[in-house]
Amino acid sequence: MTSPNTANILSAVNDIIVGKHQTSRLALTCLLAQGHLLIEDLPGVGKTTLAHTLAKVLGLDFHRLQFTSDMLPADILGVSIFDRDAQKFHFHPGPIFSQLVLADEVNRATPRTQSALLEAMEERQITIEGQTHPLPTPFFVIATQNPSHQIGTFPLPESQLDRFLMRLAMGYPDAESERQLLSGTSRQLLLQQLNAIIDPAALITLQHEVSQVHTSPALVDYVQKILAFSRESGLYVHGLSPRAGLGLIRAAQAWAFIEGRQQTLPEDIQAVLPAVVSHRLQARDGDAQHDFSASLIAQVPIP
Amino acid sequence: MPSDTSLIWLILSLNLAALPHFSYQPLWVALLFLSMMSWRSLAIWQHWPLPGRQHRTLSLVQWVVAAGAGLLMLDSYGNFIGRDAGTALLIVMVGLKVVEIRNHRDYYISCFLGYFLVVTNFLYSQSIPIAALMLVIIILMTSCLISLNDIKQVLSKMAQLKLASKMLLQAIPLMLILFVLFPRIAGPLWGLPQDAHTAQTGISNSMSLGKISELIQSDAVAFRVKFDQTMPAGHELYWRGPVLWNTDGTTWRELTLPSHSEPRPPIISTTGQPSIYTVTLEPHNEHWLFALDVPTVFPTSFGASLAYGGELLSRKPIKQRTQYQLSSNTRFSMNPDTDHYLNEALILPKGFHPRTRALAEEWRQKAKSPEDIIDMALNHFNQQPFYYTLTPPALTGDTIDGFLFESGKGFCEHYAASFTVLMRAAGIPTRVVTGYQGGEINPVDGYLVVRQRDAHAWTEVWLQDRGWVRIDPTAAVSQDRIELGMSELLPNALRAPLFFSQSEQLIDIWQQLRNNWDAVNNAWNRSILAYGPELQKSFLSKLGMINPNWQSMAITLFAAFSLILLITSAVLLYPRREPDPVVATYQQFCQRFVKLGLVARYAHEGPIDFARRMTHALPHYQTDIGHITAQYISLRYDQSVSSIAEFKHSVKHFKPNK
Repeated sequence: MTSPNTANILSAVNDIIVGKHQTSRLALTCLLAQGHLLIEDLPGVGKTTLAHTLAKVLGLDFHRLQFTSDMLPADILGVSIFDRDAQKFHFHPGPIFSQLVLADEVNRATPRTQSALLEAMEERQITIEGQTHPLPTPFFVIATQNPSHQIGTFPLPESQLDRFLMRLAMGYPDAESERQLLSGTSRQLLLQQLNAIIDPAALITLQHEVSQVHTSPALVDYVQKILAFSRESGLYVHGLSPRAGLGLIRAAQAWAFIEGRQQTLPEDIQAVLPAVVSHRLQARDGDAQHDFSASLIAQVPIP
Repeated sequence: MPSDTSLIWLILSLNLAALPHFSYQPLWVALLFLSMMSWRSLAIWQHWPLPGRQHRTLSLVQWVVAAGAGLLMLDSYGNFIGRDAGTALLIVMVGLKVVEIRNHRDYYISCFLGYFLVVTNFLYSQSIPIAALMLVIIILMTSCLISLNDIKQVLSKMAQLKLASKMLLQAIPLMLILFVLFPRIAGPLWGLPQDAHTAQTGISNSMSLGKISELIQSDAVAFRVKFDQTMPAGHELYWRGPVLWNTDGTTWRELTLPSHSEPRPPIISTTGQPSIYTVTLEPHNEHWLFALDVPTVFPTSFGASLAYGGELLSRKPIKQRTQYQLSSNTRFSMNPDTDHYLNEALILPKGFHPRTRALAEEWRQKAKSPEDIIDMALNHFNQQPFYYTLTPPALTGDTIDGFLFESGKGFCEHYAASFTVLMRAAGIPTRVVTGYQGGEINPVDGYLVVRQRDAHAWTEVWLQDRGWVRIDPTAAVSQDRIELGMSELLPNALRAPLFFSQSEQLIDIWQQLRNNWDAVNNAWNRSILAYGPELQKSFLSKLGMINPNWQSMAITLFAAFSLILLITSAVLLYPRREPDPVVATYQQFCQRFVKLGLVARYAHEGPIDFARRMTHALPHYQTDIGHITAQYISLRYDQSVSSIAEFKHSVKHFKPNK
């Protein structure tokens, strides 16, 4: 059922990231929906590998940014240096000027540095000293974050989390995959051997095709009902924003596209819903471990 | 200008509404109406000119027709007042109006005149078939109004008729409220016009030989009876009508009393248990109320009283279906309170019936007592060649002598009349009693139905110590007539019409049909047509209205109307979403699985998930489920390219079983 291009991409990704089909599919969905991705999990479960693999497979130029507490915005965005010969300032672009930026352990940086990144993510351009520099297209940020109860972290505020289309958790691999991982070739080596399946231009075409996937009034109705429920049920501290709703539809379009369909169905919404809303909703009873997206799906009838 | 199609339908409906009237209106009314309708129809089909500005001569023709109709009306009825004249006027006016329909307003007027025509039909008949026909016409009329307002002509005639029926259905609550609550006031204001009750068949106040046998041709109901407890035996069912005393040799009439004397009822003494029963009498335009011989307790509400012959009379002629409760004793003795009446029961016209008188004289000399003479007469009928026949030969000359000594073939009236002559000639006071004998129990509703064909004539003789004693000479000739009832004696051709008279089985079928239809009519009469002032009062009291007078009815009517309008407007104003036909059809599809005991679609279950689950349960329907789901998805979630009709068709023909 999956469309040929995306199927190839996914199988290549799954060769390296074993046993994480759902996560890699959602990550691809996020990229096709032109959204930024936040991966939240413990170190060493393959967050970086996933980002790296995606960059490789999609043929994007890739830059990794390891966030630390002493990092400054200029370390990300770049600096203007006075050029003596030309008698003017010359802009030296920072690592953010890449098609795929991996912002590793984003919660280690100070809020000031974080917000510089997030603003760039939102605007898809940066402005330094009155000069605007557009970021390359396509442009993705995959941020990883350690669980916030670890020491020396500045957890992203909720308002910033909204900028990410999805938040995913990797989780430990299952026993079979883990054995395969331990006994097989090094992932680094496999990564080096990996060839790009499409180029950035093809990716942009794919993104355009995703935005053409039909979204009927009936489906919009369903999404609106979900948003209304999140606000009116009293189960959550804050309801979902219109941006969350837009994100839901965009992500569902991409999911449907990967499934090889030309129309968005309630099932697509349900498939992407946990990843899209989990970081935007906070249960009122404070039970963070509770998977409330499942109950959200169960309680909103499809119109 | 209304469209031609609307006009044609209007003409058709008006014709239908006027049609029942033509049977009793003068021929010229029908001719004038139909020619006006034809003129208009030809104007549509053949482009005939119509009266108007372009054709002033035709307008003149129209005026002349109208004036001529007025003159004919005066000639036929003498005025424009009354039921028949008023209806004729309406029919003529409708005809003239249709010719000059030029705009919407004229069309409206013609339509409303058509509704009036419908009402006038009920002045003549309130039977179920007429009511049904009028309902059809009302739907047609309403569809005409709809077609007039359907300016873009988007509705087919079928859709117009459907809409009209729907509108009438919606009017039913209002109709019921009006029916139940509209104050019914007894009196001329709400009654029918004076000439509304004419030409009813039934027993008349005179009898000549051959007259009652005409009645047996009639299947019409004379009255219906419901007994409270047990019914007396068939041979005791004598329903007394007018008692006839005077004869001129051929015709028998009621007693004409001297103007100064008050009619005095007979003195009646009874033994045994009385029968209590309710009679529903069809209108016959005469005074008598038929009662089982002999009534002891009778209602005084419409001035019922016993006349000198023991017959029950109402003060006013019975012009509408009337219901009354009676109590009768079949064992009784009846005595006149003066000898005057006895003398009247001995008079024979001079010079008539010489042979009969001679025979009676012979018997009187032989007999020892009046009882002997009666026995001789009955034996004479019984042993001589006398026949009971429904088709007696026509008698000429002295009819009594002719019957007794020549033809010997007769009907009840022949036997009753000649027996009376014999008795009077032998010096025994005798009178003729007419009425009905017997009746048939309708097994459907348990009512005893007495028809015109049960009309009968018998006699009563006065004996010194026993008073008036009923003697039925017909019984001496044909015991069956009294024991089994009239319908057993009828030839097949009279028991059932045409096709049904061909075999016993068909007659049985016919009688079953007739009994059912009669029970329906009876129910219609009792609950719908009989709903007058009294029934309304008792019904409203039962509903809990404390004092149902016309003021409280009007207030309740107003309140009920307001309530209905309030509810209607609430329903109309309440925002609601039309159910999407695609969703509705899909829900039907989902429902099919529930019938097989599968878990219904969850509210949050998408079409693909549901299809997967159902396919898992019913693997051999995979193709169908997949097909229908794909159609649904394409209709609901895609830029619709499939047709709803196809989707509906697939769902309709999807009938899974395990």
